[in-house]
Amino acid sequence: MRTITFKDALNEALHQEMARDDRVFVLGEDVARMGGDFGVTMGLLRKFGPDRVKDTPLSEAAILGVANGAAFCGLRPVAEIMFADFLTECYDQLVNNSAKAHYMFAGKVKCPIVVRTATGAGFRAAYHHSQNVEAWFMNVPGLTIVAPSTPYDAKGLLVGAIRDDNPILFLEHKMLYGTSGEVPEELYALPIGRAEVKRPGADVTIVASMKMVHHSLAVADELDREEEISCEVLDLRTLIPFDKETILESVARTGRVVLVNEAPKTGSLNAELAATIIEEAFDALKAPVQRVNALDCPVGFAPAIEDYVVPRPEDVARAVRAVVDY
Amino acid sequence: MTVPKEQLLDFYRKMVLVRRFEETVEEYSKKGYVPGFIHLGVGQEAAQVGAMASFQEGDYVLPDHRSHGVCLMVGTPVTEVLAEIFGKTTGCNKGRGGSMHIADFARGNVGNNAIQGSTLVTACGLAVASQIRRTGAVTFIFFGDGTVGRGEFHESLNLAGVWKLPIVYVLVNNGYAISTRATDAHPLEDLAEMGCAYNIPGVTVDGNDVEAVCAAVGEAAERARRGEGATIVELKTYRWQGHFSGDPASYRPEEEVRAWKERCPLKATRKKLIDRKWATAEEIAAIDAAVEKEIQEAVQFAVDSPTPTEKDAVAHVYVGREVAGK
Repeated sequence: MRTITFKDALNEALHQEMARDDRVFVLGEDVARMGGDFGVTMGLLRKFGPDRVKDTPLSEAAILGVANGAAFCGLRPVAEIMFADFLTECYDQLVNNSAKAHYMFAGKVKCPIVVRTATGAGFRAAYHHSQNVEAWFMNVPGLTIVAPSTPYDAKGLLVGAIRDDNPILFLEHKMLYGTSGEVPEELYALPIGRAEVKRPGADVTIVASMKMVHHSLAVADELDREEEISCEVLDLRTLIPFDKETILESVARTGRVVLVNEAPKTGSLNAELAATIIEEAFDALKAPVQRVNALDCPVGFAPAIEDYVVPRPEDVARAVRAVVDY
Repeated sequence: MTVPKEQLLDFYRKMVLVRRFEETVEEYSKKGYVPGFIHLGVGQEAAQVGAMASFQEGDYVLPDHRSHGVCLMVGTPVTEVLAEIFGKTTGCNKGRGGSMHIADFARGNVGNNAIQGSTLVTACGLAVASQIRRTGAVTFIFFGDGTVGRGEFHESLNLAGVWKLPIVYVLVNNGYAISTRATDAHPLEDLAEMGCAYNIPGVTVDGNDVEAVCAAVGEAAERARRGEGATIVELKTYRWQGHFSGDPASYRPEEEVRAWKERCPLKATRKKLIDRKWATAEEIAAIDAAVEKEIQEAVQFAVDSPTPTEKDAVAHVYVGREVAGK
């Protein structure tokens, strides 16, 4: 099969889905003429014209307002918020309007929007261009959070998200844009809410997402080769609502769990996953659940600081050994 | 401006309906029939009725925080609006929205909202949808003077200015944001002037003169329908009660309240009808009696209607995804 980058897979998803469904349109800062800060919307303006590919002012609340209002009218907007850190500027729109409209108006309106945004550390871009924001939105019933880790998933999940009738926050880890993988040329959608077993294993369940999936797979290979520890790696793909069944099924077999998430530890996705596992699979556990997170610090600028704050592969390996040696 | 006889009679009937609706909501709130907060528009009837005279089938409206009257003017039956405020399943949102979240999508009411200013950007989305589909629809967004301080107001105007969006900004300036005077919160006496920063014309009219309101909003709506973009129409009026029902509003001088009550929009319209010999005192009394009958029937309907049950709590959080109950 053909190999393309994560960024090009997203771009192809938009091209193909916009050609298939004329209700889909794209808006955001620099998405039209420039093709997006990371190039994800490249070529859309030329193909679909200014009605369906809109550059906006620096007005994140208005970007979300346009998305919500147009979605209420039956269109399917894909809004780009250039960096996830900027979601604070439209937090009210997402939390109080997008997420609640369907519920408070008794199911008489839908808000099928996708909010694409670049998340994650590693770019040396410091405090306001590097954060992992999923925990800010986890406590908001009505919102769905999708976070692919491979080009194949990026394309299929973006198409799946556009076709979903719920508001979806679509997280794109900026360190993955340049990664490559096999992606079918034809249009396909992947289901929202399903995790994937990226690597089967018997001793330890590692649950990760986005860039942390790649850290986890590298650690799993290394520990298998050098220490005869067999790790199963699950890629959540949808963070909220997460695929509880797949996680619990794996934990029931391994009894040992390492959770890997790039956001600060306190109140993180890992906290929710750990609580769920303890609540529902306590008897299966052979060791305390281990969480590998960023430190409870901002993402600093100096490379040594940034690299120390976010999880490294050796942090994952240490946690795996801890649950095995317990 | 003078409207035709039949229209002024219709305005009068509608203003009486809104007045009696609000008084009835307050009465039944005090009796314990209405859950939660209510914000009454007594005194602002001319602004609501006169502005909504330009609302046509296919248009969109976003009522403000004090606009049961606007919801009625959309054409939603009085029974359904009152039942919604009473929290009954026969309400237009099945009792899930209440006074602060009344929508009727089939008739173009996209819902009021309890985050002041939040829907100013939703208006842009409705307008973008009608622009993309070339429907010629106009979006009416109602908001108060306090909302002018919100960032969304400026993001919305900026976008509407640059994209020439078909929006009528109905700025209901009743002089106070809860206790804070508009003149203490904003640097202009006539807030419509803020439009000039965004190349959006603004007009300020007497919001208690239903004919003046009708003329100003009508002109703005026609401008929007011609594709010439947005207008701010500021309607200077006054709320007779406190911010919410039960707020004694001791922050306002008594003589100010008294003076504005003298300028009652219903009284002024009655006087016009009599002076122009368009109605006799008896004919006016007959209108009042007919409205009273409609109100009392709606009260009976709302009182007799069932309330939502516990099992309704987890419905409509997501489209197509279940949320667990207790």
